[in-house]
Amino acid sequence: MSDAKTERAYCPVCLARFKLEAGWKEGSVVICPICGQKLILAKSPDGLIGDRVDKGTVREIRERSENFARIRGYEFNDIKEDLLEGLMAKYKRFGDFYCPCRMEHVPEYQCPCKPTRGGDVEKNGRCYCGFFWKKK
Amino acid sequence: MSSMADKPKVYALSTCPYCKRTKRFLDQHKIVYDCIDVDLLDDDKQDKVLEEVEKLTGRRSFPVVIIGKEIIVGHDEDKLKKALRL
Repeated sequence: MSDAKTERAYCPVCLARFKLEAGWKEGSVVICPICGQKLILAKSPDGLIGDRVDKGTVREIRERSENFARIRGYEFNDIKEDLLEGLMAKYKRFGDFYCPCRMEHVPEYQCPCKPTRGGDVEKNGRCYCGFFWKKK
Repeated sequence: MSSMADKPKVYALSTCPYCKRTKRFLDQHKIVYDCIDVDLLDDDKQDKVLEEVEKLTGRRSFPVVIIGKEIIVGHDEDKLKKALRL
Protein backbone atom coordinates (compact mmCIF):
# COMPACT_ATOMS: atom_id res chain seq x y z
CA MET A 1 0.00 0.00 0.00
CA SER A 2 2.59 2.55 1.06
CA ASP A 3 4.83 1.72 -1.93
CA ALA A 4 2.01 2.52 -4.34
CA LYS A 5 1.58 5.93 -2.70
CA THR A 6 5.18 6.94 -3.22
CA GLU A 7 5.31 5.73 -6.83
CA ARG A 8 2.14 7.33 -8.10
CA ALA A 9 0.59 10.76 -8.38
CA TYR A 10 -3.07 11.73 -8.60
CA CYS A 11 -4.36 13.53 -11.67
CA PRO A 12 -7.32 15.86 -10.95
CA VAL A 13 -8.48 15.66 -14.57
CA CYS A 14 -8.77 11.93 -15.21
CA LEU A 15 -9.08 11.15 -11.48
CA ALA A 16 -6.51 8.36 -11.77
CA ARG A 17 -3.20 7.74 -10.05
CA PHE A 18 -0.44 7.50 -12.61
CA LYS A 19 3.00 5.96 -12.18
CA LEU A 20 5.91 8.32 -11.65
CA GLU A 21 8.84 8.22 -14.04
CA ALA A 22 12.42 8.44 -12.84
CA GLY A 23 13.22 11.87 -11.40
CA TRP A 24 9.60 13.01 -11.00
CA LYS A 25 9.16 14.59 -7.58
CA GLU A 26 7.48 17.49 -5.79
CA GLY A 27 7.69 20.57 -8.02
CA SER A 28 8.24 18.63 -11.26
CA VAL A 29 6.18 19.70 -14.25
CA VAL A 30 4.87 16.53 -15.85
CA ILE A 31 2.32 15.34 -18.40
CA CYS A 32 -0.29 12.91 -17.10
CA PRO A 33 0.36 9.77 -19.18
CA ILE A 34 -3.35 8.90 -19.11
CA CYS A 35 -5.11 12.12 -20.18
CA GLY A 36 -2.27 14.39 -21.31
CA GLN A 37 -2.84 17.15 -18.72
CA LYS A 38 0.19 19.25 -17.77
CA LEU A 39 0.64 19.16 -13.99
CA ILE A 40 2.93 20.47 -11.27
CA LEU A 41 3.44 17.76 -8.67
CA ALA A 42 2.69 18.81 -5.10
CA LYS A 43 2.66 16.98 -1.79
CA SER A 44 -0.62 16.13 -0.10
CA PRO A 45 -1.53 13.93 2.89
CA ASP A 46 -2.40 11.18 0.37
CA GLY A 47 0.84 11.40 -1.58
CA LEU A 48 1.72 13.40 -4.66
CA ILE A 49 -1.05 15.24 -6.43
CA GLY A 50 -0.94 17.19 -9.69
CA ASP A 51 -1.93 20.86 -9.90
CA ARG A 52 -3.32 21.85 -13.29
CA VAL A 53 -1.07 24.25 -15.23
CA ASP A 54 -2.88 27.13 -17.03
CA LYS A 55 -6.21 25.99 -15.57
CA GLY A 56 -9.26 27.12 -17.51
CA THR A 57 -7.40 28.53 -20.49
CA VAL A 58 -7.52 27.54 -24.12
CA ARG A 59 -3.83 26.74 -23.78
CA GLU A 60 -4.62 24.14 -21.12
CA ILE A 61 -7.23 22.26 -23.13
CA ARG A 62 -5.28 22.56 -26.39
CA GLU A 63 -2.11 21.15 -24.80
CA ARG A 64 -4.03 18.44 -22.97
CA SER A 65 -5.81 17.24 -26.10
CA GLU A 66 -2.67 17.41 -28.25
CA ASN A 67 -0.69 15.50 -25.62
CA PHE A 68 -3.44 12.90 -25.37
CA ALA A 69 -3.56 12.48 -29.15
CA ARG A 70 0.23 12.09 -29.26
CA ILE A 71 0.29 9.54 -26.42
CA ARG A 72 -2.46 7.45 -28.07
CA GLY A 73 -1.44 8.00 -31.70
CA TYR A 74 -4.71 9.74 -32.66
CA GLU A 75 -5.24 12.61 -35.05
CA PHE A 76 -7.56 15.61 -35.40
CA ASN A 77 -9.59 16.85 -38.35
CA ASP A 78 -10.90 20.22 -39.47
CA ILE A 79 -13.46 20.49 -36.66
CA LYS A 80 -10.71 20.67 -34.01
CA GLU A 81 -10.77 24.46 -33.55
CA ASP A 82 -14.60 24.53 -33.36
CA LEU A 83 -14.50 21.84 -30.68
CA LEU A 84 -11.86 23.77 -28.71
CA GLU A 85 -14.21 26.76 -28.85
CA GLY A 86 -17.05 24.54 -27.58
CA LEU A 87 -14.82 23.26 -24.77
CA MET A 88 -14.02 26.84 -23.75
CA ALA A 89 -17.75 27.63 -23.71
CA LYS A 90 -18.31 24.58 -21.48
CA TYR A 91 -15.64 25.83 -19.08
CA LYS A 92 -17.17 29.30 -18.94
CA ARG A 93 -20.78 28.11 -18.56
CA PHE A 94 -20.41 24.87 -16.65
CA GLY A 95 -17.09 25.12 -14.83
CA ASP A 96 -14.82 22.68 -16.64
CA PHE A 97 -13.86 21.20 -20.00
CA TYR A 98 -16.78 18.80 -20.39
CA CYS A 99 -17.51 17.19 -23.76
CA PRO A 100 -19.10 19.93 -25.90
CA CYS A 101 -21.48 17.44 -27.51
CA ARG A 102 -22.96 16.04 -24.33
CA MET A 103 -25.53 17.35 -21.89
CA GLU A 104 -23.99 15.88 -18.77
CA HIS A 105 -21.50 17.96 -16.80
CA VAL A 106 -19.88 15.21 -14.75
CA PRO A 107 -16.20 14.38 -14.11
CA GLU A 108 -16.24 11.31 -16.37
CA TYR A 109 -17.09 13.51 -19.35
CA GLN A 110 -14.15 15.86 -18.77
CA CYS A 111 -12.23 15.85 -22.07
CA PRO A 112 -10.72 13.39 -22.98
CA CYS A 113 -13.82 11.66 -21.60
CA LYS A 114 -13.77 8.31 -19.83
CA PRO A 115 -15.16 6.33 -22.80
CA THR A 116 -12.40 7.85 -24.94
CA ARG A 117 -9.74 7.01 -22.36
CA GLY A 118 -11.28 3.51 -22.30
CA GLY A 119 -10.74 2.87 -26.00
CA ASP A 120 -13.76 4.26 -27.90
CA VAL A 121 -11.51 5.61 -30.65
CA GLU A 122 -10.08 2.15 -31.34
CA LYS A 123 -13.60 0.71 -31.33
CA ASN A 124 -15.44 3.36 -33.34
CA GLY A 125 -12.66 5.11 -35.25
CA ARG A 126 -13.42 8.36 -33.40
CA CYS A 127 -14.51 9.67 -30.01
CA TYR A 128 -18.14 10.61 -29.33
CA CYS A 129 -17.79 14.19 -30.55
CA GLY A 130 -15.27 13.56 -33.31
CA PHE A 131 -12.37 15.37 -31.65
CA PHE A 132 -9.97 12.40 -31.62
CA TRP A 133 -9.68 10.12 -34.65
CA LYS A 134 -7.92 6.84 -35.27
CA LYS A 135 -5.11 7.28 -37.78
CA LYS A 136 -5.91 5.82 -41.21
CA MET B 1 -52.51 20.70 -32.82
CA SER B 2 -49.60 21.64 -35.00
CA SER B 3 -49.70 21.24 -38.73
CA MET B 4 -47.10 19.73 -41.04
CA ALA B 5 -46.41 23.17 -42.45
CA ASP B 6 -44.84 24.27 -39.17
CA LYS B 7 -41.45 25.92 -39.16
CA PRO B 8 -38.54 23.50 -38.84
CA LYS B 9 -37.48 22.98 -35.25
CA VAL B 10 -33.89 22.56 -34.10
CA TYR B 11 -32.83 21.05 -30.78
CA ALA B 12 -29.20 21.97 -30.14
CA LEU B 13 -26.46 22.34 -27.57
CA SER B 14 -24.92 25.81 -27.41
CA THR B 15 -21.38 24.37 -27.27
CA CYS B 16 -21.69 21.77 -30.05
CA PRO B 17 -19.98 22.66 -33.34
CA TYR B 18 -22.19 20.30 -35.37
CA CYS B 19 -25.27 22.09 -34.03
CA LYS B 20 -23.67 25.39 -35.06
CA ARG B 21 -23.06 24.04 -38.57
CA THR B 22 -26.70 22.98 -38.86
CA LYS B 23 -27.90 26.42 -37.74
CA ARG B 24 -25.45 28.09 -40.13
CA PHE B 25 -26.69 25.91 -43.00
CA LEU B 26 -30.32 26.85 -42.31
CA ASP B 27 -29.40 30.55 -41.98
CA GLN B 28 -27.45 30.46 -45.24
CA HIS B 29 -30.47 29.00 -46.99
CA LYS B 30 -32.71 31.61 -45.38
CA ILE B 31 -34.83 29.00 -43.64
CA VAL B 32 -36.89 30.36 -40.76
CA TYR B 33 -36.80 27.90 -37.87
CA ASP B 34 -37.34 27.60 -34.14
CA CYS B 35 -34.30 26.66 -32.11
CA ILE B 36 -33.88 25.45 -28.56
CA ASP B 37 -30.41 25.34 -27.00
CA VAL B 38 -31.22 22.56 -24.57
CA ASP B 39 -28.16 23.06 -22.34
CA LEU B 40 -29.16 26.67 -21.61
CA LEU B 41 -32.66 25.86 -20.33
CA ASP B 42 -33.42 25.82 -16.62
CA ASP B 43 -33.61 22.35 -15.05
CA ASP B 44 -37.38 21.76 -15.21
CA LYS B 45 -37.71 22.94 -18.78
CA GLN B 46 -34.59 20.98 -19.72
CA ASP B 47 -36.01 17.71 -18.37
CA LYS B 48 -39.17 18.19 -20.39
CA VAL B 49 -37.31 18.99 -23.60
CA LEU B 50 -34.88 16.08 -23.14
CA GLU B 51 -37.85 13.75 -22.75
CA GLU B 52 -39.25 15.19 -25.97
CA VAL B 53 -35.94 14.59 -27.77
CA GLU B 54 -35.68 11.04 -26.45
CA LYS B 55 -39.23 10.28 -27.53
CA LEU B 56 -38.51 11.60 -31.01
CA THR B 57 -35.09 10.03 -31.57
CA GLY B 58 -34.58 7.35 -28.93
CA ARG B 59 -31.42 9.06 -27.70
CA ARG B 60 -29.90 12.29 -26.42
CA SER B 61 -27.81 13.22 -29.41
CA PHE B 62 -27.67 16.67 -31.01
CA PRO B 63 -28.53 18.44 -33.23
CA VAL B 64 -32.03 17.18 -33.93
CA VAL B 65 -33.95 18.87 -36.75
CA ILE B 66 -37.65 18.32 -37.24
CA ILE B 67 -38.91 19.19 -40.73
CA GLY B 68 -42.52 18.09 -41.19
CA LYS B 69 -42.44 14.34 -40.58
CA GLU B 70 -38.68 14.10 -41.05
CA ILE B 71 -36.45 13.77 -38.00
CA ILE B 72 -32.77 14.36 -38.72
CA VAL B 73 -30.23 13.53 -36.00
CA GLY B 74 -26.74 14.93 -36.40
CA HIS B 75 -25.47 17.52 -38.87
CA ASP B 76 -26.36 16.07 -42.30
CA GLU B 77 -26.57 18.58 -45.15
CA ASP B 78 -27.79 16.00 -47.68
CA LYS B 79 -30.71 15.03 -45.47
CA LEU B 80 -31.47 18.70 -44.71
CA LYS B 81 -31.47 19.57 -48.42
CA LYS B 82 -33.76 16.66 -49.21
CA ALA B 83 -36.20 17.42 -46.41
CA LEU B 84 -36.24 21.13 -47.29
CA ARG B 85 -36.35 20.43 -51.04
CA LEU B 86 -33.33 22.65 -51.66
